[in-house]
Amino acid sequence: MKTPADPVRDYLRAVEREASALPADRRQELVADLAEHVEVTRAERPDATPGEILAELGDPRTIAATALAEAGRAPGIPAEGGAGDPARRGKVHPLVPLLMLTLSLPFVMVFSESPGPLFGLLFRIAGVVLLCTSVHWTTVRKTTGVLLAGVVPTVVIASWNLSSGGPAGDTPALVGNLGMLALLTGTAVWLWRSRRA
Amino acid sequence: MEPGDSTKQARAAAQLRKGVLEYCVLALMRDRPRYGVELLQALEDSGALATSQGTVYPLLSRLRRDDLVTTTWQESASGPPRRYYALTDSGRAALDEFTRVWPGFRDAVDTFLSTPPPSTGDHA
Repeated sequence: MKTPADPVRDYLRAVEREASALPADRRQELVADLAEHVEVTRAERPDATPGEILAELGDPRTIAATALAEAGRAPGIPAEGGAGDPARRGKVHPLVPLLMLTLSLPFVMVFSESPGPLFGLLFRIAGVVLLCTSVHWTTVRKTTGVLLAGVVPTVVIASWNLSSGGPAGDTPALVGNLGMLALLTGTAVWLWRSRRA
Repeated sequence: MEPGDSTKQARAAAQLRKGVLEYCVLALMRDRPRYGVELLQALEDSGALATSQGTVYPLLSRLRRDDLVTTTWQESASGPPRRYYALTDSGRAALDEFTRVWPGFRDAVDTFLSTPPPSTGDHA
């Protein structure tokens, strides 16, 4: 500890900690208001010790609780507690999994050399995971999406590669890829339209 | 400290304060803008409305967000600049509305409290 004990700083940190559920801008505003109060009071009552001024301000927990209650009244501020976990999970924008699933195929078509297909597969897996954990779709829609945009392309591409494995520039391969792309795009568009806000 | 009468009294006072504090704060700004420490001092002097001072700042913050008050910085002869709170038109309207309904509330509560209670319900 190099810095000497500073009760005001400790107090403001305590408020900040107790008010951690507040949005950051509200929290900073609160701490700034309190810091300002201490400065002004010190100027007006030079005899008052920091301890006295802080005691008058009151318990950081009480102040933080009041601030949370006030924030709860305002529209647009989620109430504290409740469905915190599921709300945080799957907060990814619904476009992200859809783009990952759709673009994995053209990515592989463009980068057909060695690391390309592997990245394409990782893209598709990540897309499937994000789709499944998203809050924007029902389980039925997620399952359909995973089947159409994840399982079908993987199975078809794998079996194509295993069976004939013609060069990627071949007309049949191109037609197959374009058909698959249409399926992926169609699925993504359907999922996008049926998403929940 | 036992959770007896004093706690109950504190709870009643806290409930009442919660309802009227913001209008009292608005009323303090009726004639001129006031800065935070000044507002808190006036509340402190009132006795009944004295509260843990820090809790007034979240209230002031909400009044500002709800556009009932505006703030301006003013230099001071002593110490740092002060943030002055002033009523907006909607703040004045809210205060007028409270001023209009308050006598009715006060009289109704007084009536209930002064009416002799029913015969039952005497507890030690």
